[in-house]
Amino acid sequence: MTASPAPKAILEVRDLVIKFSLRGRLLSAVRGASLSLSEGETLAIVGESGSGKSVLTKSFIGMLDQNGRVDAGNILFEGADLATFRREEDWLPIRGKKIAMVFQDPMTSLNPLLTVGRQIREVIELHRGLVGKKAEIATVEMLDRVGIIDPEARADQYPHEYSGGMRQRAVIAMAMACRPRVLICDEPTTALDVTIQAQILGLIKALQRDFGFTTIYITHDLGVVANVADKVAVMYAGKIVEIGTTEDIFYDARHPYTWALLSSLPQLGVKGRPLYSISGTPPNLFKEIKGDAFAPRNPRALKIDFEREPPMFEVSPTHRAATWLLDPRAPRVDPPESIRAMRESLRGEII
Amino acid sequence: MFGYAVKRLLQSLFTLFIVVSLVFLLMRLLPVEGYFGDRFQKMSVGEVQASLRKMGLLDPWYLQLGRFYAGVARGDLGVSFIYRRDVPITKIIAPRIPYSAGFGLVAIAIAMTAGLAMGVGMARNKGKLQDRAGTVYIVFVNAVPLAVYLLFVQLYGSSLLHLPILFDKYNIASWILPAVSMSLNGIAFYAMWIRRYMVDELNKDYIKLARAKGLPNRTVMVRHVMRNAYVPMAQYLPAAILATIGGSIYIESLYSIPGMGGLLVDVIQRQDNAMVQALVLIFSSVGIVGLFLGDLLMALLDPRIKLAKGGGAR
Repeated sequence: MTASPAPKAILEVRDLVIKFSLRGRLLSAVRGASLSLSEGETLAIVGESGSGKSVLTKSFIGMLDQNGRVDAGNILFEGADLATFRREEDWLPIRGKKIAMVFQDPMTSLNPLLTVGRQIREVIELHRGLVGKKAEIATVEMLDRVGIIDPEARADQYPHEYSGGMRQRAVIAMAMACRPRVLICDEPTTALDVTIQAQILGLIKALQRDFGFTTIYITHDLGVVANVADKVAVMYAGKIVEIGTTEDIFYDARHPYTWALLSSLPQLGVKGRPLYSISGTPPNLFKEIKGDAFAPRNPRALKIDFEREPPMFEVSPTHRAATWLLDPRAPRVDPPESIRAMRESLRGEII
Repeated sequence: MFGYAVKRLLQSLFTLFIVVSLVFLLMRLLPVEGYFGDRFQKMSVGEVQASLRKMGLLDPWYLQLGRFYAGVARGDLGVSFIYRRDVPITKIIAPRIPYSAGFGLVAIAIAMTAGLAMGVGMARNKGKLQDRAGTVYIVFVNAVPLAVYLLFVQLYGSSLLHLPILFDKYNIASWILPAVSMSLNGIAFYAMWIRRYMVDELNKDYIKLARAKGLPNRTVMVRHVMRNAYVPMAQYLPAAILATIGGSIYIESLYSIPGMGGLLVDVIQRQDNAMVQALVLIFSSVGIVGLFLGDLLMALLDPRIKLAKGGGAR
């Protein structure tokens, strides 16, 4: 990470461990994740359900469920270690103000009994200390900013009078209302139809350009990733197994899990062949995992994958992956045919 | 909103009309002894027919029904035949309503304050001691016949707390036990439902978002969770308030309160047809008006209802 003049890191996560206690047993949802984000950057976290991507980002704003806690590691943000925050008062100056979050389903993200304007004003009053007329003007401004037509009238309407896309815009307005430094989008477009998806992604991009915040996307949708992300982190069983620039991940993936994930992209499947799917199930996170968590599902697993956990190997200054395949002593293992075919088809073309 | 109100009002009036007419016509099918009581034994067939004709009971049913509604419109519910012979029914009922409604309203006030506080506490401490203790209370009140625990309230309330065992309208202390007794069930009701609605609300996405916005826990609770949880509760409030007019049969007889409780059962047993008719009219209007006001209140509190086509969708 010493190449080009590195922009200032805004958020740095080091060896974060998050555990949940469920009926007397401990579940490790995040098992030592590390990543670093620079100002203005867009990171996408991908991985299957249960890989810990939502939990990881929820820990950035102290929104873990009651039975969850940060067990080890640091979350460094603006000179504070968020991992040490325990009390609600600690979080109030951060949550929603410096780090904001947009959730998956805009249909249920707004309180049906309060006007949209009221719900946005709430944030403005709280974090920007504006009251009365000034708060009202700022609210309308925010709605206008996210592309709501006729914002004055719309502010006085209730969520059920908004369409799905407009509701997501309103939720984004809420998140942006106090100019956060980091915006976390937890599958912001999953519940929307395709044309609206593109609009919402475009809106977030435009806002990012204007306000210069850092964005973290959580998504299953590799199409979204290719569209918006500068950087991609692939999570599996509570660990970041590969992280790199979007180009690194799409053109030069090294981890067998990343291969498998990319192979299962329907757009990149080979015509006439059945779609690829990863066999097996993710590991049980209640148990201590030995070796590489993906090994049991990996047809190319090495013997050592079952014995010892691979460290993060550096592929390039921007690209790292946790797989023994990168060890100089490892045998040469080629990515599956579909990945090679995909690389060919991708040359010179943007997805 | 206005259209919705008018529509619901017309629906309510129609329901009321059906209920009252049906009861009125069914009453005509009862044996005619109900108009004479003990005297019937000593009367000849001719005398009975003459009296019935005099009372207009031999006229066609639609004339009788029309006369009945004309009377109701003037505030005249007819006279009692047996219960208190020839006394206008309104005069029999009027002095009883304040006792029943008074106790009922006090009981609702107690039940709402205590029950809501209890339910809110239970929801906030879901799964913990307070929640479990509350659940025990709710199950107890609902499972044990009220005749049993109300007797204990009377017994121990009077012996341990030295409160009067019977009602005496000039002694304020004698109001306490009946009012408390009457609220015990309501406390359980409000606690159970507010807890349930709050727990529902707590799991909603918009509550998560409200937290993620950075709102302090307290604000989220008051502005989003509690407010939203009260709305479905409000629907039942007008009906509950109006229902107090009917009084409580058991508690009123336990403490000898001269209220409405038991009056309907009494007049049915004694076959006082006119009284039954009047009381059914009152009780069903109270029920229907209560539901109507509840729906209006919901429409005021929940903006989604105003737009609901067809009036009833929620």
